[in-house]
Amino acid sequence: MELFKKTLSPVAAMAIIAVLNIFLFQIVGAWTVGGGETMMTGLIAQMVMGDSLSRIPFWHVAFPPDPGYWKIYISLGMLFGAVVGAVLSKEFNWHMPHRLSEWVMITIGGLLMGIGIRLAFVCNVSTFYGLTPEMNLGGYLAISGILAGAWVGTWIYKKSLEG
Amino acid sequence: MNNVIAQCLTAFVFGSVVGLLVQRSRYCNVAALRDAMLFKTYRNTKALLVAMMILTMGFTAFITVGAGKPLHFDVGLNTFVGLFLFGIGMVLAGACTVSTWVKAGEGNVGAIWALLFTFIGMFLFSLLWSFTYWPPAPSTMTGNFNLAGLQLGFANAATLQEKTKIPAVVFGAIQTLVLYGLYRAILRRERAGAGAQAHSESAACNAWADNDKAVPQGAARVTAEQST
Repeated sequence: MELFKKTLSPVAAMAIIAVLNIFLFQIVGAWTVGGGETMMTGLIAQMVMGDSLSRIPFWHVAFPPDPGYWKIYISLGMLFGAVVGAVLSKEFNWHMPHRLSEWVMITIGGLLMGIGIRLAFVCNVSTFYGLTPEMNLGGYLAISGILAGAWVGTWIYKKSLEG
Repeated sequence: MNNVIAQCLTAFVFGSVVGLLVQRSRYCNVAALRDAMLFKTYRNTKALLVAMMILTMGFTAFITVGAGKPLHFDVGLNTFVGLFLFGIGMVLAGACTVSTWVKAGEGNVGAIWALLFTFIGMFLFSLLWSFTYWPPAPSTMTGNFNLAGLQLGFANAATLQEKTKIPAVVFGAIQTLVLYGLYRAILRRERAGAGAQAHSESAACNAWADNDKAVPQGAARVTAEQST
């Protein structure tokens, strides 16, 4: 199948995703990832900590763990779709960063993404493909923040390459 | 749609198509910002803008007739600061919320590691929030300006329509024109600097991938330096 032989144009891919997202907006709500990841965090924490998780107010005031939260399944679907795409195009292969500095950067980056999502209540997906197209005030705040953050991140990254 | 299983199924099907298309197109939100800033290349930036234009017209058209399910929560200082931290994090990690899942699906252990630490970051924040109770939980949001909570309140295309009596889709069309202006500016820039185009065709997310194809010179250096 041609789809698995060639790289698809990102403009075409994102245009299709945007149209599907409009349907999703009608059915359950716009595409988002951070909320589902937060719920997964809560469910994993519940598995590990059991009832003692309820001693942390966040998990019963702001985000009670619920496996029926639809946003979780967007992330699981993305994982599934990517596995299918990678396997059928013969691009699936296990590989990992080789150097300690890469592991450190990914670790810090991951932590900052997790903290940032929970602090803002939104991730980059909600920012670009939810809030801003809905003309939500938060979209403009979030875009300002992510552009500033990406600029700082790029500066740090560039310095690390030069160093 | 009230049936939980149907909601989850819809979300899974949508996510699967997204995962497949993103994997096959090598689209990446990090690249959309980082490549534009670092390499002055815009392969992913153009895709981001096109998606935003389509979504702005689609969402505001539905909002105009009272349809759709817009996000509804107060925003404030936390929105800016949170995404600022996120922006730094995604560039350092070399992936955003989408590409971590997609790269994980390609067998990238670095992406799985980034996901793991995103979860850990969320859990750490939940501990902090349990002391500060800031930003306000959705259940305590008022929708209005709240100086004590550093919240600006809630406003979107629907509230604009309500206050101005002008259909939301008109504001959507204006925003779409602004986005289109940016898109055109990128096209002009690309034409003007066609020679520099060879520099890199999207490196950011491919920095994680072992596939060196279509990642020449400057971008290849990034790939080698940070194979995240």
